Amino acid sequence: MVDRVTVTLILNGERRRFEVPPGRRLLDLLRDDAGLTGTKEGCGAGECGACTVLLDGVPVTSCLVLAASADGREVVTVEGLGSGALHPFQEALVARGGVQCGFCTPGVAVTGAAALARGATGAERVRLLAGNLCRCTGYAKILAALDDAAEGTTDAPA
Amino acid sequence: MDVAIQEVVRPATIAEALATLARADARPIAGGTDLMVQLRDGRRHAACLVDLGRLGLGGVRRDGDAVEIGAATTMDAIAGDAAIRGWFPALASAAGQVGGWPIQCRATLGGNLANGSPAADTAGPLLIAGAGVIVVAPGGRRRVPIAEFFLGPGRTALRQGELIAAVRLPLAEPPAGRRVVERFVKVGPRREQVISVASLAGRAVVGRDGALEQVRIALGSVAPTPVRATAAERALCGRRPDAAARRDAVRAVQRDIAPIDDVRAPARYRRIAVAVLLDRFLREVERG
Repeated sequence: MVDRVTVTLILNGERRRFEVPPGRRLLDLLRDDAGLTGTKEGCGAGECGACTVLLDGVPVTSCLVLAASADGREVVTVEGLGSGALHPFQEALVARGGVQCGFCTPGVAVTGAAALARGATGAERVRLLAGNLCRCTGYAKILAALDDAAEGTTDAPA
Repeated sequence: MDVAIQEVVRPATIAEALATLARADARPIAGGTDLMVQLRDGRRHAACLVDLGRLGLGGVRRDGDAVEIGAATTMDAIAGDAAIRGWFPALASAAGQVGGWPIQCRATLGGNLANGSPAADTAGPLLIAGAGVIVVAPGGRRRVPIAEFFLGPGRTALRQGELIAAVRLPLAEPPAGRRVVERFVKVGPRREQVISVASLAGRAVVGRDGALEQVRIALGSVAPTPVRATAAERALCGRRPDAAARRDAVRAVQRDIAPIDDVRAPARYRRIAVAVLLDRFLREVERG
């Protein structure tokens, strides 16, 4: 039995304290210890982007972050993205039909929101989203939703 | 699933970090984007991880006639840094192609080097920049030229218990009237997710007459370590990068590399890919 480590996070705006094994991944802390199952595990190797969360405001694949490394830092998951309501990019994803099976959507929503916060435009938006794989939509509706959200026109025509 | 470690230490100073790293079962972790996968797959083992996140090793700063990049600086920060984009565009370009954006926000320059991969995308740009790796050990600091840093797949000049503190890139203003072309290009099935099948970093200083006054070329994923293409450089130096020179360089570069067959590509494909990347780079240099 190994000693547990204390991990304190500002998680979706709330201070939370966890006692976890030292080898716990941030992904598992979020899903199993914090009960936030919006964040998904896809490949578990940092290639698919499904587990993306914000760590101190920038997107990271939570499957590759040791929970202990996040101690004292701010984490935002898909559940906390829009603080009570949907984030404008999430609304645009709904309006555009940018969600099909939905498994990649939490990661896409988090990375897209971060891209908007950075003020990315045009080809840069595509580059920033390229680490989030989607096997359903073909990406066109996801990128259209990102454009809509950036322009503040989330009630896009079908 | 948890990775199989017994302990995590989060030192606040380099001295504390080095004290723990003196243990044979301890290993440093920064972004973890390589190490976490290796631990998960059982390709590397450590009882104790020493998290470097509190050491303040991130950031880019001008220091006299050099730019110093802290070991914990992320790929995202390097790709977006104005000084690096201006002085070392191949490095900025490579950093912007290491994995997807969420990886770039986590992966560090020190980690990309310490991992010792022949495919490390930042290695080529550092080789053509003549960079030095600043290594700290309990006994003090030492500077390892990047050309002497990589020893073989997964092996570097770092000794047990040492840490990379920074990478130092000397600034070299080209003489007036010269044109500098610097590029990083890589080949792989999908840029954002794959480890490079072959990569090329090139820097050419072109004189008024169009001849190459200086040319530096480095290649990744085609030898046990990232390598300088010295035979190709010799074939090109002093010449205009015209069709004849390009043909000679493409032939010479085959002596600079020793690619292997692996899961990502056969050696023969890598030889062809390097020839194409080099030819394209030289065409771009010629066009200006």
